[in-house]
Amino acid sequence: SSLSTSGEADPVALRAEQRARAMMRERFLRCLISMANKKIQFLMYERVTVAAVFGASDIDVLNFQVSDLQTPIGVQTEALIRCQDVISYSFDM
Amino acid sequence: MSTTSAWRQQTPRDWEHYVNKQVTVTAHGQQQHRGWLHTVDPVTASVVLVQLGEAAGGCSVSVVMGHAVEQVEVVGEADEETAMRLSSLFRSEAPELRGSV
Amino acid sequence: GARLGTTAAPNERPGARRGAEMRKLYGVDTAKIQAMEAALQLNFDRNCDRKLPKYWPVIPLRL
Repeated sequence: SSLSTSGEADPVALRAEQRARAMMRERFLRCLISMANKKIQFLMYERVTVAAVFGASDIDVLNFQVSDLQTPIGVQTEALIRCQDVISYSFDM
Repeated sequence: MSTTSAWRQQTPRDWEHYVNKQVTVTAHGQQQHRGWLHTVDPVTASVVLVQLGEAAGGCSVSVVMGHAVEQVEVVGEADEETAMRLSSLFRSEAPELRGSV
Repeated sequence: GARLGTTAAPNERPGARRGAEMRKLYGVDTAKIQAMEAALQLNFDRNCDRKLPKYWPVIPLRL
């Protein structure tokens, strides 16, 4: 997301916005890290549901690198899932 | 409550208001997800929801991609204990980053 | 992109938010966020180098 206009003018508001962004980004990155080696269920567009063992994501979250992807038509040992194809994903901690 | 086009365009301060709230997120296809909002990724607007179990340990996590979020509705507030559990989530899972951050 | 097969290459990396832009976004927390992002990206690149994953599905579900 871009900087809000209020943030650019007012240093106090800018700092508050940076702090909020950093806190939320750190939480999100830690969540991504914790997914490594966990079994993830992906709900995708066109009502496609798959499960896979999570490997890693690139930082802009454009691709998920996964293993043992269980698709409706078989298992793919190593795969990349396009994040644009995904609606949601879930896993247990 | 926030609707779809609005959701991705909100500012970090707007998203921050939802952190630690119990929310219902409506995703593409009218699929609904209920949980405690752990965070919103400021880069993609993706929403991380947590369903806390009874025991201190277990919980399940669902993430709705920012591009698929249609609506976010607040349905409850976290008490202090719940907020604590939400903050400490995922913290012990990054040994390669421990100490460096 | 050469590390992945023809069906697998993410050959653009939009939003490589670097330096000054990162600093504007994250302020005093920039170094911490950058370090975490670098570690994650390294993991992703290393896994792709080793495992040579191919896109699934081959054709995007959503264009």
